[in-house]
Amino acid sequence: MTKDVIGSVLVVGGGIAGMRSALDLANSGYYVYLLEKSPSIGGVMSQLDKTFPTNDCAM
Amino acid sequence: MEIVRHPRYVDESKCIACGACYEKCPKKIPDTYNQGLAKRKAIYVEYAQAVPLKYRIDPDTCIYLQKKKCGACKKLCPTGAIDFDMKEKIDTLNVGSVVLAPGFKPFDPSGFDTYNYANLPNVMTATEFERILSASGPTTGHLIRMSDHKEPKKIAWLQCVGSRDINRCDNPACSSVCCMYAIKEAVIAKEHSGDDLDCAIFYMDMRTMGKEFERFYENAKKKGVRFIRCRVHSIVPVGDTGDMELRYVTDDGQVTTEIFEQVVLSVGLQTPPELVALADRLGISLTKGNFCKTDPFEPVATSREGVYVCGAFQGPKDIPQSVIDAGAAASAAGEFLSPARNTLTRVPEIVPETNVINERPRVGVFVCRCGVNIAGVVDVPAVAEYARTLPYVEFVADNLYSCSQDTQDIMAQTIREQNLNRVVVAACTPKTHEPLFQETLIAAGLNKYLFEMANIRNQDSWVHKNNPELATEKAMDLVRMAVSKAALIQPLKETALNVNQAALVIGGGVSGMNAARSLSRQGYVTHIVEKSDTLGGQARNLHTLPSGDKVADRLEKLAAQIEADEKITVHLNTTLAGVEGFVGNFKTTLAGNGGEQVLEHGVAVIATGGQEYKPAEYRYGEDPRILTSLELDRKLMDNDPAIESARSAVFIQCVGSREPERPYCSRICCTHSVHNSIELKRANPDMNVFILYRDVRTYGEKEYLYREARELGVIFVRFDLEHKPEVRKDGDRLIVRVIDHVLGIPMDIETDILTLASAILPNREEKLARFFKVPLNEDGFFVEKHAKLGPSEFATDGVFLCGLAHYPKPIDESIAQARAAASRAITLLAREKIHTSGQVAEINPSWCSQCGTCVSLCPYSAPTFRSPEERFWPGKAEINPALCKGCGLCVASCRSGAIHLKGFDNDQIFAQIFSMNEAG
Amino acid sequence: MSDWEPKIVSFLCNWCSYGAADLAGVGRMEYPSNIRVIRIPCTGRMSPKFALAALREGADGVWVSG
Repeated sequence: MTKDVIGSVLVVGGGIAGMRSALDLANSGYYVYLLEKSPSIGGVMSQLDKTFPTNDCAM
Repeated sequence: MEIVRHPRYVDESKCIACGACYEKCPKKIPDTYNQGLAKRKAIYVEYAQAVPLKYRIDPDTCIYLQKKKCGACKKLCPTGAIDFDMKEKIDTLNVGSVVLAPGFKPFDPSGFDTYNYANLPNVMTATEFERILSASGPTTGHLIRMSDHKEPKKIAWLQCVGSRDINRCDNPACSSVCCMYAIKEAVIAKEHSGDDLDCAIFYMDMRTMGKEFERFYENAKKKGVRFIRCRVHSIVPVGDTGDMELRYVTDDGQVTTEIFEQVVLSVGLQTPPELVALADRLGISLTKGNFCKTDPFEPVATSREGVYVCGAFQGPKDIPQSVIDAGAAASAAGEFLSPARNTLTRVPEIVPETNVINERPRVGVFVCRCGVNIAGVVDVPAVAEYARTLPYVEFVADNLYSCSQDTQDIMAQTIREQNLNRVVVAACTPKTHEPLFQETLIAAGLNKYLFEMANIRNQDSWVHKNNPELATEKAMDLVRMAVSKAALIQPLKETALNVNQAALVIGGGVSGMNAARSLSRQGYVTHIVEKSDTLGGQARNLHTLPSGDKVADRLEKLAAQIEADEKITVHLNTTLAGVEGFVGNFKTTLAGNGGEQVLEHGVAVIATGGQEYKPAEYRYGEDPRILTSLELDRKLMDNDPAIESARSAVFIQCVGSREPERPYCSRICCTHSVHNSIELKRANPDMNVFILYRDVRTYGEKEYLYREARELGVIFVRFDLEHKPEVRKDGDRLIVRVIDHVLGIPMDIETDILTLASAILPNREEKLARFFKVPLNEDGFFVEKHAKLGPSEFATDGVFLCGLAHYPKPIDESIAQARAAASRAITLLAREKIHTSGQVAEINPSWCSQCGTCVSLCPYSAPTFRSPEERFWPGKAEINPALCKGCGLCVASCRSGAIHLKGFDNDQIFAQIFSMNEAG
Repeated sequence: MSDWEPKIVSFLCNWCSYGAADLAGVGRMEYPSNIRVIRIPCTGRMSPKFALAALREGADGVWVSG
């Protein structure tokens, strides 16, 4: 892998998967653009009440 | 890449989220965040904890943007943030890779006439029902129905609405998550309304195949949730009562009706049309269910190089699986861009720390409501008022959600403005939230140890909910105790340690090899330790995957890559003899091939796999025709003539799984048997193939296999735990007797191959668990950091987890988790330095009597004697802060009182004890 | 006697019992509110002096768990 590549990643979607992916990439040394169509991140998980099994508030 | 920036019409750099605009905006529209169950204004934030907490104007409903009238918000905004002239902007980004995590859209059941969703307010979707249960929802968490705001006494959930259905809609896949969320909603609804609430779940197959899910299902049954196996035909209103009559056919064929006061439709996950269009623009292939097409050995790679996928767009899946995918996609993108690492990132700015030593304590107390979690029981304003009266308290506030980003920002600002030098948060538990609040302190320029928590949720409001007065009294006591300790705490220093840049992967199966390959591709030297004499693990026993791939071929390729990789060293026939050290600095002793070797590494990935259960039931071992699933795979691999000559084959599911002594679902056996039944039918279409099952758990897009098997003529017969099939031999004939679930009469099936879909057992790696100080659950699988948010890592820093050692899972999921574990490990390795805790023991050498008690007692070997030759304090004991875990054992045992535990010092604990009673 | 309520001070290990007390909350298990918890990093930190101090402050019971 000697080809020239750009050290940045576009993550499409700011739900739980997009946020986790973006954080891992940023903490591994890549510049991340996180794209979200709605005005705030969080996705569907932020709309859930509590989550199994700890009954943690999904927020 | 070109991206479109939609105008917010509010300048983010100016908006302070004061809400003045929202107050005055005259336009009321349905609140999409609350699923249209409540109203919001045209200018809005989605929810109180939204990130970023900046208002936005909805251009479709704003009166000004539509008709050039109103403009109230612009006049009122104190910061002049409103800008109606904002235009759509197109930005061009140059990126090396793309990760697609666009999610899903819940199925819209409006088109199902017989369910009357569009007409009856008391028929709602499960996503809407989540909002009803939520404390921040339209009913502030009161379980009431929409038509008359009455508390329903009978609620029905209808499963598979918009899933597993190609008649009424075009969604052939199972949505994977609805069974579990319906059970969760039913259990929580009962928590809200009391045990007399009648909850009934109407289902086809209960698919609780995730970790700990089956137990949750069994517990829900014990709590009285009813599970009724049938598809409901119609929902009909009962006059104008708001109630509804459900018409359904029971197991024994009778048409039954039952009246419910509320109906929840468990809607499935589907890819919305705009995503299908996006996939088309990006040139990536989709499956027939419109999910992103991937390869089982490359589960997050799309058909286009450099473009990766995670979450529900890859296939219908739950949160843990989405988080696993997300890590895997990050790793895959990282591997792809490895040469360009650290070329575009910047180092964060460090906020200078304010020196507070010798200052009089100025304590700030923040009392959290946690929505209604605390405030519903504890009188929060009273506690806050009380806190004001305590010594050294200079500032008190109560917060709705202290942990939300906006509140955190306000707290940091308050700390600066009020010049606070100690912070007490009365909220949930320091176990989960201390690090978060400490970040806030750091952002405010305070040493993070100048912080104390009072646990008024987990240990107060949640456990004394029927006694609000006593709970409030207890909260006041806890706050007083915390404040008295806070006044005495001191800023602490942390030691920086180098992180050894090598990784150790334990287990050389598919998971271990994938984790190692990801680590190596991102530049880290990696060692694989494998106890057997070959790489491959359990996958070597598998024949083909549903994708048609021969597992052996793919495995061979993977193993060849590993062996050719210069950064990977494989240690075969090797086990671990001991582990010393800690995150970033492990020293592991490997034993094998006649010797021992010490390996230094910074992180460890546990990928020790699992094994097949050898059944004790169904006459296994008594007849060569009775096989386990893996034994059938072996026969298929070997082209055994017994397969071709067989006239009849029977599979029995759940052998050793979902039984009282092993109450978990092994997740893969249904798909495995269904796939093999197809293989058998293909090899010999005349063969009679039966699958005896309890629930067919072909979740996600594996559902297509189930359909295909039925179309090929595989016969599915259900049994229950009380009436398990019986296997007998009649001369040379092998006969399986099962009670037919439709007719209710015993049916004898003569068979030539009987396959027992036996459970996946954990390897119960107790030694390894001790070595790395990581836990096993009661089934013997390793326990991850967090079931949802930390599935591929341990609570113990520097140790990661993947594959069957975590829970039974198919190859593609194991690979995803292996790469997720690597991704998490890389975020640690990439830091190169870690900071140890400041809460460590310290010896005052002038008081040390050199008795050696601490040196001999410490389980972590942190105290040692200084050399007698040393210039200062020769021969006295000292503590290595890197090894100290801050347990305080030495402190309590020191006969000279020479040792102090920073953060838990004697005076601090005494202060808590002495303030147990109110002063005076 | 019937009105008397004991006051109990508990010293809980951060890693096990304190976490367990949190989990009791997650599970919404109800118990009497007479307990005041002091979090310690490990029961190894527990000193007899703490127990004596608590009793002297009027505690009717001291519970160390870890």
